[in-house]
Amino acid sequence: MQQQEIHSYLKNFFTTNNCIIEQDNGKYMTVQLTIEMDKLLMNRPFYWHYIEKIGAEPNPQKITFITDFNELGKTKGELIHFGSPRLHQIFNVIKKQGGFIRLFENKSGSPNLNVPLYPWLCLNVKISYICDHRKDRLQSYGVNLMNGTIIYDFHDQLFTNQIHLVAKMPDFAFTFTPLIKPQSGIRRIKQLIENEIATDDHTWAEDAKKRWAEDAKLLDAFFEDEEERPERYYIEKEALKNQYEPKIHVSIINGGIFYLTQHSLIKK
Amino acid sequence: MELNIHFDDSWIETFLHKLEQDGPWSNWNLYNLALEAEKNLIIPDFHGLQAPKFLPELKPLPHQIETAQRVIENMNGKAILADEVGLGKTIEAGLILKEYMIRGLVKKVLILVPASLVSQWVWELNSKFHIPAIGYRKNYSWEHTDVMVTSIDTAKRSPHKETILELDYDFVIIDEAHKLKNHKTRNYEFAQNLKKKFCLLLTATPIQNRIEEIFNLVSLLKPGHLGTYKEFLEKYKNKHSVDDKHLKELINKVMIRNRRQDTKIEWTKRKVETILIDLSKEERELYDAITKFKQEHNEILNNAFSILTLQREACSSKEAIFVTLKNMLDKAENPSKNFQQFIQSMMELIQKIQVNSKAEKALELIQSINDKVIIFTEYRATQLYLQWYLKQHGISSVPFRGGFRRGKKDWMKELFQNHAQVFIATEAGGEGINLQFCNHMINFDLPWNPMRLEQRIGRIHRLGQEKDVRIYNFATKNTVEEHILKLLYEKINLFERVIGELDEILTKLEFGKLEDHLIDIFTTSETEGEMKIKMENLTAMIELAESIKEDGNYATAGNSQLS
Repeated sequence: MQQQEIHSYLKNFFTTNNCIIEQDNGKYMTVQLTIEMDKLLMNRPFYWHYIEKIGAEPNPQKITFITDFNELGKTKGELIHFGSPRLHQIFNVIKKQGGFIRLFENKSGSPNLNVPLYPWLCLNVKISYICDHRKDRLQSYGVNLMNGTIIYDFHDQLFTNQIHLVAKMPDFAFTFTPLIKPQSGIRRIKQLIENEIATDDHTWAEDAKKRWAEDAKLLDAFFEDEEERPERYYIEKEALKNQYEPKIHVSIINGGIFYLTQHSLIKK
Repeated sequence: MELNIHFDDSWIETFLHKLEQDGPWSNWNLYNLALEAEKNLIIPDFHGLQAPKFLPELKPLPHQIETAQRVIENMNGKAILADEVGLGKTIEAGLILKEYMIRGLVKKVLILVPASLVSQWVWELNSKFHIPAIGYRKNYSWEHTDVMVTSIDTAKRSPHKETILELDYDFVIIDEAHKLKNHKTRNYEFAQNLKKKFCLLLTATPIQNRIEEIFNLVSLLKPGHLGTYKEFLEKYKNKHSVDDKHLKELINKVMIRNRRQDTKIEWTKRKVETILIDLSKEERELYDAITKFKQEHNEILNNAFSILTLQREACSSKEAIFVTLKNMLDKAENPSKNFQQFIQSMMELIQKIQVNSKAEKALELIQSINDKVIIFTEYRATQLYLQWYLKQHGISSVPFRGGFRRGKKDWMKELFQNHAQVFIATEAGGEGINLQFCNHMINFDLPWNPMRLEQRIGRIHRLGQEKDVRIYNFATKNTVEEHILKLLYEKINLFERVIGELDEILTKLEFGKLEDHLIDIFTTSETEGEMKIKMENLTAMIELAESIKEDGNYATAGNSQLS
């Protein structure tokens, strides 16, 4: 993430959370936090507990974020960059805030012709390949909950097809009740992921197992002479397993239900 | 291939609940920002380092980056980092730890360092690496702190020991790991029983005396890598260095040793000056009385080592020798008349001494330097005296020693940096504090272990030192000090050497600890002449070892520093 990207990312985040940006020159910005944001970011539970207990006027803080390294020392504020604890704290807040969604395509019909909207389930998934090394991959799956069609880059498709989405059902539109339950949709995606993984290139896992076997062999030889293997042998053995054993971890970043018109996701 | 796939279902439960309740739902904007955050946080490749991207302010040196990458990619996260002093082993360890944490492979971390270094590690990890490390304090919970820094002495004590050994650590770092070279110690046993996935051992001197030391270190890290203890001893027992090609290769698979000359960093110069000092008449009388006593009544003290200690102390300050004499008297059960008489006569001579010649010289030097100066002494009594003496002459100083609590050490360093002109340290206090803002050092008395002298100089001659470093070595004329300095340190060019070179030479010597030899020479020699000859022999041995070194590995390197 470049410093410029971080700058606009923060601006977007704070504006969306109703904080007033009091000053912004592209190099640093001063944000007046709301009470909610202060509680989430400033880590001062005692202050808030106290204010609420005595019913005093709350005074949420103002922060200046510096995104241009050249401003350091010239401007009073917090330098923020990729890797700075503050940015990761904000990422964590966002991940909680942006986890679950339900949206409608903004297509209104007329009193005589209501627009039908079809339910899609979207899961944005992180697949992690873990041994003593690690690699991740993101995939955005979408299942049409009427006919079972699956799309592999659902999130990007929403943008390439320029679909206008709104939080409330538009006028003169109606939604179909899913024929496939969301639970089944999720199951189908899980199955799909398992099938994908089965046909993946497993060199990384085989290599990890080789490294594991090498160390395990040395360990066995080290304790060979001892009649009864000491506890330490088992500790080391378990540690090798924790270190090398290849595994795949699948987690859902966010997702939800999108009601879209029938042909909206045909690529243009 | 059968692979273990784990689905995290926590999202699903909340989602289904929200479906039932019809919300509340996220804002579309935040939904996109959350995905964008994750896109930036994913690890795109098994290889390479992510950490530098997270640490734009750190600016690690090329050899540090290279080391981190090698440890992770080729050594599977288990390594001995054995860079020479001052090349930034802490930075390398921090980079490696950070990388594993970013990759989500490490969460629970235990960092064992000498007590004097705890706060420094905590500070560096937090400020340079944004790693929320915490120094252990009473009532902190081992279970609930993810990154804990503590001393091995604290960790191995009950009840901590039992708790720690139950925990599964993802990563263990042990600083000054040469202290674990002996596999029969409790420290070693403790380190051995830690549950750990990844592990780093940091030491500037992986082998100090015996080849088994490297076996013990490697076996902590990777049991079996060098075979069993028995096999190893059979093969290498009679060797004192790692000349064996096969053994060298094996060790290089788990150890990285960067040397100064390999790093392409421009080091500031090191200028060493010997200052010989005449004892005053009264000081001389005291010193000679001890020497004479040694020749006549050695049996009274039944420990020749004590005499040597007294001689060395007499070269430092009357305060130092006074404290020792008093302790000897207090401790003796039914002191013999001879013994009491000896102490009595010594005390009388001490009382006659009016000036400390070395301290006078130090004062003169400090005044002419007119800048920050570090004084090292072996004796606490000398330290206290010097502080008082300098104060009499309007010079502010801070004392520093090993027994200080962490907070106090940081505070003392701060005081020196911002307020005082002189920093007076004893040996134990010297370990691991970094004072590169100062470039003058007086060795008020010299340690007999050259490694310790390196450690002292390493406090100021390290990365970050911008000026040439000036070292002033004090030695009193015609005393044991002068012998050490002239015959040993100067003859083997100790001071002009590149840091870390000497330890390599010393390990080549087939006779064990240098310090033991010195003590032996000074305590058993009957005459001055005999002592000189023995010293000559010792330095000749060192020179021999050095020539072996030059003919061997480094013949092509063109060692201008060695000439």
